[in-house]
Amino acid sequence: MKTMNETQLKELEQDLDTIRDQVIADLGERDARYIRKIVRLHRSLEVGGRALMPLGFIPPVFIAATTALGLSKIIENMEIGHNVMHGQYDWMNDPSLHSQTYEWDTACSGDSWRRTHNYEHHTYTNIIGKDRDYGYALLRLSDDDKWKPAHSLQFMNYVLLSVFFQWGVGLHELEFERLRRREISVREKIPFLKEFFRKGGRQAFKDYVFFPLVTFPVAPVVLAGNIGANLIRNLWSSTVIFCGHFTQDAETFSEEECEGESKGHWYLRQLTGSSNFTGGKWVHVLSGHLSYQVEHHIFPDLPAHRYPEISEQVQAVCQKHGIPYNTGTFAKQYSTVLKRIIGYSLPDRMRSRLLPEFSNPAPQS
Amino acid sequence: MTALLEKSSTLHWLGRQLFNRDDPAAFFDPLLERINPMWVQQYTPARVAAIFNETSDTKTFVLAPAGRWKGFEAGQHVNIGVEVDGVRRNRTFSLSSSPLQWRADGKATLTIKRLPGGLVTNWMHDHLEPGAVVGLGEAFGDFRIPDPQEPALYIAGGSGITPVLSQLETMAASGYRAPITLLYYVRTQADVIAAEKLRALAVRWPAFTLKIFTTNESEPQLLCEKHLGDVPGLPARRCYLCGPKGLMDLANDLLYRRGIAEDRVHSTFFSAPAANLDTSTLGGAVRFERSDLDVSSEGDAVLLEIAEAAKLSPRYGCRMGICHQCSCRKTSGTVVNRLTGKASGPGDETIQLCISVPSGPVSIDI
Repeated sequence: MKTMNETQLKELEQDLDTIRDQVIADLGERDARYIRKIVRLHRSLEVGGRALMPLGFIPPVFIAATTALGLSKIIENMEIGHNVMHGQYDWMNDPSLHSQTYEWDTACSGDSWRRTHNYEHHTYTNIIGKDRDYGYALLRLSDDDKWKPAHSLQFMNYVLLSVFFQWGVGLHELEFERLRRREISVREKIPFLKEFFRKGGRQAFKDYVFFPLVTFPVAPVVLAGNIGANLIRNLWSSTVIFCGHFTQDAETFSEEECEGESKGHWYLRQLTGSSNFTGGKWVHVLSGHLSYQVEHHIFPDLPAHRYPEISEQVQAVCQKHGIPYNTGTFAKQYSTVLKRIIGYSLPDRMRSRLLPEFSNPAPQS
Repeated sequence: MTALLEKSSTLHWLGRQLFNRDDPAAFFDPLLERINPMWVQQYTPARVAAIFNETSDTKTFVLAPAGRWKGFEAGQHVNIGVEVDGVRRNRTFSLSSSPLQWRADGKATLTIKRLPGGLVTNWMHDHLEPGAVVGLGEAFGDFRIPDPQEPALYIAGGSGITPVLSQLETMAASGYRAPITLLYYVRTQADVIAAEKLRALAVRWPAFTLKIFTTNESEPQLLCEKHLGDVPGLPARRCYLCGPKGLMDLANDLLYRRGIAEDRVHSTFFSAPAANLDTSTLGGAVRFERSDLDVSSEGDAVLLEIAEAAKLSPRYGCRMGICHQCSCRKTSGTVVNRLTGKASGPGDETIQLCISVPSGPVSIDI
């Protein structure tokens, strides 16, 4: 990681705080209108998708209904749920958009997400051993884990994780890797498991039991459409999230270098550990503006639709302090993610021969 | 139609499963609101039917609440929710009309004075138009008409007249015969709220005596021993006080000296404290409502630390204002954001415990 002394870090902190203060001072009507428009879009897509689904025996209708329901889940999870739970709209004082009570349309409970994502991942971003989102304790994505033969199958694990992403996220807090190492006992995880079965069960009941049953004569069509919608959401959200921290130049950190860190150091870590991708307006909306992962990680509680507006200012701050600002087209960023997953599935010597950009020390771009 | 989701317990359970929320009927609000804002389920909507001026700085707002609103008793208050620049603000006001009118035509009124620097009262005066929809809470408060009938004395000051108006109208309409006296203190004659209504009551309701005193005209008429002495049969009267703190303190003191028992004196008044950004006023009495715990704080201690010092364990995360794990409801009082130095509003809203410093008395829902 780029090293900066405390004076430089203090200056970085002040520069970024200035951007943040400007946005906070300007929050109001425009932001409220934006999120309400997105919520209306979500309701329309969900109501429309569910209403059309029973007519899904007509192929074009099936495609339209499944797409509508899939998009509704994507928008609800990414642009509404994830962002609302970060407290981006708490200032509106609207109980329907409140970070601590919001519950989203996915298997992971809001409470579990607030603990593992908002707190662990956003506080300890990319610190190996503390940020369990780094590889989800399932994939080897850096040199910090020693290579084992089992890692050679990890591309298949990645595909499975993407296909069943909502269940992977839902079970994240189980800390299966620590259970296996017997660092914790199943007994400690009973409250979590209860919560998981309650929320996961509710989601499975809705999409795979209730809606197929109430449309009984066409139950298989509705079931297939609902599975399709969940699959679309799983693949897209997994892909977006992997592009946020696992691209080629996204850095990792050790616990030692982050001990007792200042706010400025925390900012530096968020800037260098995250990566953006470019795209049209709807790519940003559908990614919940996680395409602006850098901006999101320095300001997780600013309304996400503001990230594109402050991006240039953030880039200017990065340039001033000589900090890399990691961005590129979606295709470029995602291809480096795939290369990282494949590269680290190989023994170290083979990796440095086949994919030298992932050898240590990584060449600076 | 969506109200069914709240009424039937089976449908309510099902709604919670399908829409992931404890108020499933409100799931459709974003769509229904576009068709008709009176169909919203999350709060009880009330349409502003009319607005008229009482004085130069006081307006009466006539509200037509949705059918599910449960009504009120004369002298009670309600919380009103309005959205000001994207932020939902809740404030408490007294209802100024009679419940009999609400039963007759479904309308209830709020009589609201502009508070200098007040965010919500000024917004309501400047931006609320007939036809708009506001949120309306259920009525509360125990400032009630004496039952059974007994003689009463009302002492009101300025906009403190509003719950009194509601009670007087109700008593007049129900043929109340015990003597009622109102001592009403205003700055000038032009500041008398509902002047016509009060004078009409005095004419058509024989049991009622109206006395208006002006405190800022040629000869200041402040509440005094003599004003009370002129009220016939004072010791037998139940007393109701509503007005600024100075007037209420003085009235309490005078009534006490006349030997009126404390339990026969009822007071009520709501007013937003003036915004105070002076950092030397940090700290104050903190009430943790759900834990039923009162503590005091000094200096710039944040609420999270205050709660922990009081052996509470609220949920928290980063302790630096990032993760919102510790966000919770403040039900009243003002807090200052330690990061920005900005003061919050006085009402019900969400705050982050780890960066909020009390500024005066604060109540928190933990």
